Amino acid sequence: MKFNWEQEATMPSSTCRRRDHHQHRASGLSALLVVVLSIALAACGSSKSSSSSSAASTSVSTPAPAASGPGVGKPAVTIGDKNFSEENLLGALYAQALQAKGYKVTLKDNVGSSEIVYKALTAGQIDLYPEYTGVLLSAIAGQTRNPASAAGAYQQAQTFVQAHGLTLLKVTPFFDSNVLATLPSYASQHGLKSIADLKALGRSVKLGAPPEFATRFEGLPGIKQEYGVDPTFLPIAIELSYKALEGGQVNVQNVFTTDGQLVRGKFTLLADPKHVFGFQNVAPVVRRSVLAAEGPAFAETLNKVSSLLTIKAIQEMNAAVSIDKQTASSVARQFLHANGLV
Amino acid sequence: MAAPIVQLGVTGPVIPNYGAGSSSCVVHNHFFCADWVGHNWGPVLWPALRGHVVLTLVAVAIGFVISMTLALAAHRYRLLEQPTILVTTFLYTIPSLALFELLVAPVGANVYSAEIALVSYTLLILFRNILAGLREVPAEVMDAADGMGMTRTQSLLRVELPLALPAIVAGIRIAVVTTIALATIVYTIYDAGLGVPIHTALGEGPFKTELIAAGGLTVLLALVADGTLVLVQRLLTPWAQVQRS
Repeated sequence: MKFNWEQEATMPSSTCRRRDHHQHRASGLSALLVVVLSIALAACGSSKSSSSSSAASTSVSTPAPAASGPGVGKPAVTIGDKNFSEENLLGALYAQALQAKGYKVTLKDNVGSSEIVYKALTAGQIDLYPEYTGVLLSAIAGQTRNPASAAGAYQQAQTFVQAHGLTLLKVTPFFDSNVLATLPSYASQHGLKSIADLKALGRSVKLGAPPEFATRFEGLPGIKQEYGVDPTFLPIAIELSYKALEGGQVNVQNVFTTDGQLVRGKFTLLADPKHVFGFQNVAPVVRRSVLAAEGPAFAETLNKVSSLLTIKAIQEMNAAVSIDKQTASSVARQFLHANGLV
Repeated sequence: MAAPIVQLGVTGPVIPNYGAGSSSCVVHNHFFCADWVGHNWGPVLWPALRGHVVLTLVAVAIGFVISMTLALAAHRYRLLEQPTILVTTFLYTIPSLALFELLVAPVGANVYSAEIALVSYTLLILFRNILAGLREVPAEVMDAADGMGMTRTQSLLRVELPLALPAIVAGIRIAVVTTIALATIVYTIYDAGLGVPIHTALGEGPFKTELIAAGGLTVLLALVADGTLVLVQRLLTPWAQVQRS
């Protein structure tokens, strides 16, 4: 590599060496060079504004706030979301519902992983973001023991964030956790209804899941401990889950409860009565100072949106984004419109 | 299944028919759906392309200013050359994904982290090329400049930099193409650039149309940028053409 650059560098200038020196031309050239330099500098200076404006136009996916409503005149808020499509959808839903009430909202899509977006929230770079209760407990609070119920998970997560100047608003009815899916034919052939029913099949059942499933409690160790199930494990990337199941590469596949594919195809989901896969309902995490400044209608609007998000509602929206390739902001708008929120 | 915490009314939410607007090409993920590109040029591809261009321009411009300063200093004081090469080479060897993630803790997941990383990868390329260009100026030309009574600044601006221009542009070409490639992973810490639609497409199956469109735009951008710089160099160094013909 080093050698290459040197070649690149020396070859053209050797042509210069052969040239007769001409001072007038050279001074014209140096003037040109100054121009080029100043253009580069100008690009550098103006790029600050253009980069921020381009960032703004990609992140603000929704139009201006409504002219009237409880949010008019309240301080502007910034909503963040994590870097996958369900989070983009949730961000768009909350942002658009608030805008319809007159709040000034900026939506920052794809802020990063849970750790990064939570840091942005506590640092005041964003005012709220949608988070999964179980993820708050495991990834942020560093808790290793699973709570016994959805309400318990919510309570523990609420206690944790309250200690950091934050509040969890109401949770969604839907939860996005691991779930084992199989084809209806395989389920009826072996009488499968719950994960526990896999025990009788022993190692003959081929179970596919992302590689980390093999080591996490919300995976093989958990189902082995709680149900005594010990299948043959095949690591399958998330985006290939349904292909693997439909193609017969696996008999049972770990998927997510909110996947759009679940409403488009025919699959049987195995129940998890012992809650190995935990509780992953979503609630907006908000800084308390923001809640106080925005007035009661702020939390009411967000809670109203959350209350509409049933498992069926979010599956259909995920299908529209990941299968029909519609944008999160357009799908969110259609949903809010159909439910009279925008 | 967990019991829902929020009490719903008797009827659930109204679920509209979202799929109505999507073509069967898109829904079945065929090789390339021009209609998707048409609909998503404005909302997805164009902002990503524009963001990618801005990320690259800013990185190369800042990298150029820093490298030019360093090269001029090293040209004058030879002692500075080895330490500068050591530092810029060290920066260049840090794996890019690791550098992006490392910057998140002190700087934050924002455009500054992205630019610091991108700039640091341009330094070695630009510094070495600028310095090599300056070093290549023949001693007799410098003597002539001296004999004409030029000051150091005059001979730098009127003689050395113009003669070093082809080498400098060659460096900028490598830096620009490298930065365009690297900027596709900026998405890991900052929501900008063509890496965003590439990442989205990979997460959706992959969604072939978007993957091809965004990946193709990256390649096209690199080719166009490189071609433009070749043209710029020809315009700035007309004597080189005279020599060749």
